[in-house]
Order: sequence, then C-alpha cells, then structure tokens
Amino acid sequence: MKFDTVIIGGGLAGMVAGIGLQKAGQSTAIISTGQNALHFFSGTFESLQEPSPRIVDLFAQAGIRLHYQPGVRLMPMGTFREAALSLEDIDFFPSAKIGRKALIVNFLGYHDFFSSFLAEGLEKQGMQCRIRFINLPEMEQLQLSPSEMRSVQIARKMDRIWEKVVQEVRLLLKDEDTVVLPQVFGLKDASVPGRIRQGVPAQVVFAGTLPPSVPGIRTQMLLKKRYELLGGTFLMGDEALHAHVHDGVVHSIVTRNLDNHYLEARSFVLATGTFFSKGLRSNPFAIEEPVFGLDVDYATERGEWFNAAFAQDQPYMQYGVKTADGLHAVKDGQPLKNLLVAGSILGGTHPELGSGAGLAVRSALEVVDTILQ
Amino acid sequence: MNANEFDVIIIGGGITGAGTQRDCAMRGLRTLLIERSDIATGATGRNHGLLHSGARYAVNDAESAEECIKENMILRKIASHCIDETDGLFITLPEDDLSYQQTFVDACLRAGIGAEIIDPDLARRLEPSVNPQLIGAVKVPDGSVDPFRLCAANMLDAKLHGGQVRLQTEVTGFIKEGNTIKGVHTHNHQTGEDVDYYAPVTVNACGIWGHKMAEMAGVHVGMFPAKGALLIFAHRVNNLVINRCRKPSNADILVPGDTVCIIGTTSTRIPFEECDNVAVTPEEVTLLITEGAKLAPSLSQTRILRAYAGVRPLVSADDDPTGRNISRGIVCLDHEERDGIKGFITITGGKLMTYRLMAEIAADAVCRKLAVDKKCQTADIPLPGSEESSYEAVAQKIWETPSTAQKAAAARMGTRAARIRTGDKRDEALICECEEVSVGEINAAIDRLEVSSLTDLRRRTRVGMGTCQGEFCACRAAGLLAKAHGCVARERKDLEDFLQERWKGNLPIGWGDTLREAEYTQWVYKHVLGL
Amino acid sequence: MKLQEYTVSKDNFEECMKCTVCTAYCPVLQVNPLYPGPKQAGPDGERLRLKDPYFFNYALKYCMNCKRCEVACPSGVHVADLIQAARIKHDKSAPKLRDQILASTDFMGSLARPFAPIVNGVTSLGVTKTVLDATLKIDRHRQFPSYSGRSFESWLRRRSKEQAAFPEQVAYYHGCYVNYNYPQLGKDLVKVLNALGVGVQLLDKEKCCGIALITNGMSERAAKQARHNVQVLGKAVEAGLKVVTTSSTCTLTLRDEYPGLLDVDNSAIRDSVLLATRFIYEKLAKGVTLQFKPDYHKKIAYHVPCHMEKLGWGVFSEKLLRMIPGVEFTLLDSNCCGIAGTYGFKKENYEASQAIGAPLFAQIESVNPDVVACDCETCKWQIEMSTGYQVMNPISILAEAILC
Repeated sequence: MKFDTVIIGGGLAGMVAGIGLQKAGQSTAIISTGQNALHFFSGTFESLQEPSPRIVDLFAQAGIRLHYQPGVRLMPMGTFREAALSLEDIDFFPSAKIGRKALIVNFLGYHDFFSSFLAEGLEKQGMQCRIRFINLPEMEQLQLSPSEMRSVQIARKMDRIWEKVVQEVRLLLKDEDTVVLPQVFGLKDASVPGRIRQGVPAQVVFAGTLPPSVPGIRTQMLLKKRYELLGGTFLMGDEALHAHVHDGVVHSIVTRNLDNHYLEARSFVLATGTFFSKGLRSNPFAIEEPVFGLDVDYATERGEWFNAAFAQDQPYMQYGVKTADGLHAVKDGQPLKNLLVAGSILGGTHPELGSGAGLAVRSALEVVDTILQ
Repeated sequence: MNANEFDVIIIGGGITGAGTQRDCAMRGLRTLLIERSDIATGATGRNHGLLHSGARYAVNDAESAEECIKENMILRKIASHCIDETDGLFITLPEDDLSYQQTFVDACLRAGIGAEIIDPDLARRLEPSVNPQLIGAVKVPDGSVDPFRLCAANMLDAKLHGGQVRLQTEVTGFIKEGNTIKGVHTHNHQTGEDVDYYAPVTVNACGIWGHKMAEMAGVHVGMFPAKGALLIFAHRVNNLVINRCRKPSNADILVPGDTVCIIGTTSTRIPFEECDNVAVTPEEVTLLITEGAKLAPSLSQTRILRAYAGVRPLVSADDDPTGRNISRGIVCLDHEERDGIKGFITITGGKLMTYRLMAEIAADAVCRKLAVDKKCQTADIPLPGSEESSYEAVAQKIWETPSTAQKAAAARMGTRAARIRTGDKRDEALICECEEVSVGEINAAIDRLEVSSLTDLRRRTRVGMGTCQGEFCACRAAGLLAKAHGCVARERKDLEDFLQERWKGNLPIGWGDTLREAEYTQWVYKHVLGL
Repeated sequence: MKLQEYTVSKDNFEECMKCTVCTAYCPVLQVNPLYPGPKQAGPDGERLRLKDPYFFNYALKYCMNCKRCEVACPSGVHVADLIQAARIKHDKSAPKLRDQILASTDFMGSLARPFAPIVNGVTSLGVTKTVLDATLKIDRHRQFPSYSGRSFESWLRRRSKEQAAFPEQVAYYHGCYVNYNYPQLGKDLVKVLNALGVGVQLLDKEKCCGIALITNGMSERAAKQARHNVQVLGKAVEAGLKVVTTSSTCTLTLRDEYPGLLDVDNSAIRDSVLLATRFIYEKLAKGVTLQFKPDYHKKIAYHVPCHMEKLGWGVFSEKLLRMIPGVEFTLLDSNCCGIAGTYGFKKENYEASQAIGAPLFAQIESVNPDVVACDCETCKWQIEMSTGYQVMNPISILAEAILC
C-alpha cells in the first residue's frame, strides 16, 4: 500500500503528525502496537509556555479543549506540581492553598484514589478536610469482581449515572468551599466534568487516580477519530518489524500483520516512544532502536544507565535516538533523508516535571513542517 | 513480675530467634523477642528458600547431612503451609564426573537421605526445564520453604503462648551486675523511647550481628561474614529443585518457590562494615545466569525479577583470626561456662532449615539455666496455619468454591486463611494483582503480625513481590496502612522507602522487561501520582 | 552466548507490564463482573498456574476469544492466546451436548441440508426455540441461520470446467457457513474473481476450520481437523495456488490459531491463505481493473469484526468498499457485536452478548445505512437480529456493484 507518509507509532506524537499531514492533504498511515501512553497521561503537559494557536486549534478541531493557566495542580498524592497547560477537566490554582475547607469524596472500596494522602497534603496548606465515601448499586455491581474496580470501568458507568454522584455530594456537603473527586468522569462524554461542576455548589477539583487515565483515554479516542475523519489509515495492533532502506532512503516497511504487503511512502516518521513501548530495546550490553537500527545516544557502561536512588532522575529515561538537521534519523553516523523522528524516542523526558506530551506535540509539528517543505 | 520482666529475652527476629522464642514459650516461659528492624531481615530473609534434603552435605559433612534430613522431615509435618514439597534432582552434566554419583548416593543413604538414581529420560519428564544434556540424575527429598512465612508463624505461635515481641527496637547495651547479665537497654526506632527489659537469661540470636552483640556483652565470638548473591526469576521455570551432582560450588542450585524460582549462590568474605549494605555486582549477576543456564537452559532467556544478597554468619571453630577454620553445624555457646559471663547464651551457625533444632538446643540451655524441666514439643505440634497440610483442602473447607485469590490466600496462610472470610465483597478486592493478595489478607496481617511498614507487609503477604514490583500495589497498600496507623506523613516516607528497596533489587538486572517495568514505575509514581 | 537478549516465552506473558490497558478494552468485562478480565486471566494467572494447575480459574470460559486485549496491548502480549491455551490445558470438563452440537458445524450442516426446508421451518418456530432454551440452554432469542438445499460445493463442482479455463487460478476455502447456509456468498466471490480473470477451485475436501471446537473445549478434535486442513491446503499450495477465504474468523483460525493454540504446524501454507478482500485489493493495486455499474448507489456502514481487527486486514475491505463509485461509506466505531460465534447462542451468555453489542447497534441505527458491510458471518446474524438492518459481506457488495 502506498502513502505519502507512513508514521510508525500511534501515540500523541504519531497522531499529531498524522493529523497535521492529513490536514495538509497528504495520505498517511499510522501503525500502532496496541494502545498508547495517553492511557497513563496525567493530563498535564510539561511546558510552562502558552501553546501556539496552531496547537490549540489542532486539539480543538478534534474536540479537545486545552486549558492554559499557569499555577499549581493538585496531584493524586496530595502534593502540588507547577504547571500551566492541561486538558480541560484539570484545574490549576494560583497557589497550593486552593481553598478553605475541602470535602474529599471517594467511592467505598476504590483503592486507586488516595483520599487520605490528599487530605494530608491539603491540611499541610492550612485547609480543613473531611473525607466521605459514597456507595452506589452500580459500584457494588463492579465490586463483584475483585480486580475491576478501576478508573476506566467506573468512568464507563459514570457517563450514565454521574447525576447520582452529584446528588450524593450535595447531601454530604456542609460548609466546604472545595470538593475533591476522583478523575473518573468524562470517558466518552467530555461534558460530564463540566456538568458536575455546575451541579455542585462548591469548587470541584478532579484529582487523578492510578492508571488508566480517563482524560487520557478520552483524548486518545478523540485524536484517533479526528485522524480517521481526515482520511487517515490507523493500523491498530500492528507492529513495524523492519524496513527496506537503500542509499539513505527508506522505501518501505514490513509489518507483522501485513507481512509481504509492504507499506511504501515518500516520507516516514518514527514515533515509537521509549522502553515501555519498545521504541528502544535493551539487553545486558546495549540499547538499540529495533525497526531501523538507528544510532542511540546512551552510556556504554550499563552501570551508568541508572541512578541508585529511585527518587532521582534516571539517566536511561533521557536516552533517545540521535538526530541531525532538525529531526532526521541517523544510522551509522549518516542521516536518513526521508526518516524523521518525533516524540519521546528523542529522549530527554523528565517524568517528575511533566509528561513528554509537550515534546511529543512540538516535535510532531516540526516533523510535519519539514515533510511538507 | 512487673511488665518489663521476663524469664528469657531473645535478641534477633530471624528464624533462629523466632524459633527459640516459640520453643521457650511452649515450655511455659515468659518470653520477649527484641528485633532492631523487622522479622527475617537478616540472612533469614535473604537466602535461597531451600528445604535441604541434606544431600549436598552428605559427602563432606555427614553430621550436617543427618541433621538436615531429620529436620526436613519434621518441618514437613509442622510447617506444611510454609513448605512446598517439590523433591529435587542432582544432575550430572557431560562435563561433570559421573562416577561422583555413586559416592554421592552412598553418602546420602548412610545419612538416612532417600536418594534414588533415575534415568535421565525420566528426569527430563519429571522436570521438563532441566538441561536435556544431562547424563545422570539422582532424586532426593529436597523442597522449598518460604522463610518469611516460617518466621512469622513461629512468632505468632510464641505470641499465642504468651510471648511478647518488640520490633523496630534495638539493644543498645546490657544491664550487668558484676559478671551477670540481668537485662538489656533498648531504643525503639519508631517511638524514640528508651526502655529497659530484665530477664535472668538473654539469648543472642542475631546471626552475623551476633558478633557485635557478643562484644557488647563482653565476650568474643569469632564470626566471619560471607556474602551470597542470588537472582529471582519472574516466574517459575522448574517444579523440582535442580542441583549439580558434584562438589558444591557457586550458583549450582535452582529452587522453585511460590510464583518464582531462585538461582544461587555465591560466597565472598566481606568486612563487617558492609553487612548492612550488601549489593550484587555485575560479575555475580553474569555468573548466576551462566551457571543457572547449565541447570535449566531457558534461564538464559527468562525475565529476571530481582537480584539480592544475604550475609551468612560463619562461625570460627577456633581462635584463628583469618577464619580459615569454620565451624560446621550448630554452635551453642553458654558464656558462663566459656567466658564466665552469667545469664548469656549465643546460638548461631546452622542453617535456615535446622532452625528448629537450633532453637531446641538454645531452649534446652535456657531451661537448664532456669532449672525448668520441660521437654521440647516443637517437633510434634504444628505451627499455626499448618494444622492441615493440603491448601486445596483448606480452601475448600473455608469457601467451598474458592476464587483464585482465595486459593492463593489458603496457600499462603494455611488454616489461618479462615480469618479473612468476612462475607464482605469489598474485603476480597485485590490490592496486589500480581500475587492475588486481597484487602482481607492484608488487614489480617496488619492485625496479628506486627506490621509497621510496606516492607513488613511484603514479607508477610507477598504484596509487591510480583512482576510489577510494587507499581500498583504499593500505593494501594500504603492507603490501607495509613488508615491502620493513622499517620499519612509516615506512610508517605514508607512508600518512598519501599520503592527504593524494590529499585535496589531491580537495578543490577536493569535491562529488557525489567527496565521497561522500572520505567513504567517511575512514570506512575512521578508523573501520574506526583510522589 | 546470547544472554538475555530475547526474554520471550511462547505467549510472551513475561512482557506484560501490568499496565491494565487490556482491561479497558475487554468487551466481557464491561458487562460481566464474574469474568476475571484479560489481565488476571492471562499474564497474572499464568504465574499462578505455573506454580500449580489448581489455581486455574474456570471463569475463563467467559472469555470470548475476541482478541481485543491483544490488539490493545502496548507490549504485544498474546493475552487471548494465553487464556485460550490455559483453558485447553486445564479445563478438562466434558463439553455439554449443547456445545458439541453448536460446534459440530460440518456434521449438523450435512445432516440438515437434505431436509433444509423442514429444518428451517422448524428452527424458526417459537415453540422450537422455547424447547431448545429449556433443554439445551440455547437462548430462545437466537435465530438459527437457515440451511440451504444445495451446498456451495455442489454448485461450484458443476462449474469446474468453466472455472478451469481462466488464466489464473485460486483455491477457495469456503467454510461451513457458505457451504451449508449461504452459498450465495461463494457465488458472489466467484463472480468477482472471474471478473478479474481468476478462476476458482474447490479444495480437496476441506473441513470446518474448528474455531468453535477450540473454544468449546474440544481442542483434540479441532487439532485433527486442523491437521487435515493443513494437508489439504498444502496440496493446493504445492500446485502453486493461493487460497482465498471470505470469513475473517476462518482466516484467523487457519493462519494463527492452528500454530498458536493447537500446536499444528502450518508454516507451509500460512502465507498463502488470504482473505478475498486482501487478494482482490492486491490485484487491483497491481493494475487489474474492475468495471462498476454507473448507477450503483449504496450507503454502507462497515463493521470491522473482532478477528479482522486482530488480523489487521480491515484496511483492505475498507479500501475496496471506498473504491466503488456511488458508495457513501462510514466506518463504524470499533465495537464488538457481542455474539462471538457460538458464545452468544448460550443462554448464560445471551444478556452479556446483547449488552456488549448495544453501542454498535445504536450507532448503526443512527447512521441508518442501506446495508451494513461485514466480513464475519456470525456478526451478520447478530446485527441482523439485533437491528433489523441487512448485513452483506464486502465481496457480495462488490459482486452487486460490478458490471459484467
């Protein structure tokens, strides 16, 4: 099958690149080994600068409203992170003292939301906190399974029954000015968080839970839909195995599902992510990029890949493929003419600062511009 | 007697100390166990988990071999829920000397160990993962033991017989009157309190730290720390223990245990200063994988979960300061006879699986000093949880049609699993999905088993021991602990410590899927949760 | 020594990162809390089962084998295969009579065919359905597909000389549905392939692919059928023929389930078995053309069957349909229809089946197409029963649209 551009990797970087190219009239395909890291996305981008209108529009056209407001965000463990750009259900506050009195509401038996940590974190800021649990028959139904009281299962039900939660919260609310709820609303219906805010006479803060991330999943569904509406071909659950490269030019790639039906294109984008998504592979001796065998920037001594302190920055999380002339991939020291790289496979992500989502979007758009020239 | 007075104080919460406390408590003595950290944090928590048949010692140390097989049979009876009766193989590879096999078998039989030469073909059928190139095989009654469960069960039984336990409590000095030890000064690391306890007899059961304890009491016991490194693989590769049939050497035992298997071990003398901070070196990692692959070739490609090291207390047989002559077997020192210090006994040497015998010897010595005439019953009465030996029967009795998590709980807790049947569906919710540990099981551990941190919880329930290494379960369990202890700030620190401890074990084998998992864990805790 | 360079076992459960993404995409979990879910049933459970088969959970029978967990897994773990392999290895409960009947498609087909009008009449009666519901626990809402009086094989056999005259030849693995219930689809395929200059041959006595036998606990019988089919397909491949199929599930079974679940080596034939839409697309991509009726107009909503998503070949059917001028094309959201072959016929699964498919049915209603396109015959039964919209295989749509 022939395309103008083939994108390897269906994460945020791959989809943004695909959307950008389709909009400009190209025919593209995205290959994705399973679902992507947006499923664990906290919803906050790491950059503190205002996003360009181009970025805001790209997301808006997919039905995703970005929210820019420099401040601090309440994190699931009751800590605060400086942030500025996020998805719409996430609020930033001018300071960590986000209110006077907080009612923290959780579902009985939901262990992935850390109400006691949130309370302690807010109390350290001088707030008074009360924790209450609610129970609904739909939640009892979920709890017939010992393992499936998870964010996404709850969110699926909440799309239909969120009003019951609002009712319960209103009954529990005394004189608190802040209500903290788990971020399990708005999986398919993006309007639910806003409608909950309207229904509760206090400021409502949605604090995150253990993965999967509900706003992350919603974002990924909307981006994929947008890409497909623009005519893109999304090959879900396939894996790029290797490529046919000649004289520094990539001609086609071979995927597991399409076997000898090669994907041919004029340009290629590698956005395969980090170790988790197998964009980089490691063994006791080396770190490699598995599809093209690109040059990877890493320390040759395995001992140097790590910091012995878990809490510190880990060198291996900074590793990525080398690039030249913008974002051209490099193999054996030579740049490849029509293979560009975007997203976290470029290396340099710091999870405690943010998500790598900003890098994904910026590098993807840079790749789009380079290809369209 | 006032509240701080006991008949005997036992210092050291490893298997030796816990076993000694159980034995003494069962003989009616008022006992106190003092441990500076948690149970099983020394060599007890860092060994191979092998229930020796004793075959390994048969050729060179017949006495140890006899001791082992007797204790092996006893432990199967009294500690059934802590033991997996796997059987074992001693294999001869093409590069080994097949003639050693007969020497080996003869020595086993002389020691009372049921060793049976079997056809290599049968060995391959019994254990499909074994190196197919083996040219000889001997079947022996090896097994595997969970040292944490064993230690906790001994401690629990001691408590059920009136014993008291002070964990996180360190002995800072001895209360001496002339040449008699009357008690101990202690400092509690958690509360910051300093408390004195009194007893006519004090037992030093501190493993390698017994050296320092003895010095503090004014006696010298020659000990030499020997580090042993091991690797845990992410899933169970073998069902029988696999050994090499040759003179014992490094990394020639592969032990299956619960959901994993462990290859070990090595032996390197280290200075005392390193005992609290042992780490596995890259050379040790390579050695363990390469030698392990000779026992079971698939190990060369199997995901590795953790690397860890423990310190053996080697006791000198004499005063040679180089430690060339190490005592074989159990060493029980009555310091009144040996050094003129009254009221003090050291029990050391031995192995995990001869702990009961060590405890019997120590308790006998304690009773002699107290002029108490009570016989040891620890070989006859099962530990709490081991009253029924089949976990299938246990699970069925408690639940009729048990779920997988309930079956797993029965396998871990034995008959004590009945405590977690509350009828509340929410107590069945899984906190640790990798090992299927429920809220109920965790609450039961917090209630009865002296849990003050996530690592304590891990030792008693296997939370965090699966392939995710605490990725999800650690923060869920932290939530439960915060509720139990009521102090979130402390739990926050505890969570950080737990993750650091897990990371320490992942780092030496940080490649492939282990690296991917570590990256995901970093992501979840830093980016998603904001720890 | 290549130490630790490839840490993979057959179904690579050790590559599972415990990320829980599979649980978000399992259709069964959304409606049935008794099912442990792909993570617990698959990679989590595998570690316990390796310790002791006692830890096998019989609730694994609620897995539909839809493979959506595998499609969603970021680590590429064969989650569904792990679950099915565990069922095959550990669930030794004897298959119920009902399951044997439902899964024995060749046998039932050849029995029913000679009496098709009577059988069809009887199975569509309310009273029959009530009896089957009460006795065999086959849900009474289900409509049995009607049997055809003439098998597809007999139809094609009568035309073998004319088919042999075409310059290019393919073999056709038609499967049970086309042969016993709906030969029309086979006839449509022959029409389209002939228009491309390709003649169609039968295989030398193919058997049912066996997927229903696998999922209903009769894997030994399935393996026997598999070995037979591999031999039969092998003869065609040796003669230089490609083998085309029209059922997405048969295709997945022949190519992947045979080696993956039944340990049947199909390496000699795997790459030669192609879904017809892929074969046709590849032909057209090489320059062969089809003429379409100038006045053809159809509003089509395409549902990608679960097994098609796993194959990753929905793109071929989609592109073919889009190629037809006059087609107004909508790609339906990825959603399992709920029937999962024989699964949805069972009384204990009926409600779950319908709940799983509900969003798909709702979307079809709102799109209001002229026809729903789908490559899977059991999806066809489910969608027709649950929505009242007609479902056609893309090949039948092509056959309808071409000029010849």
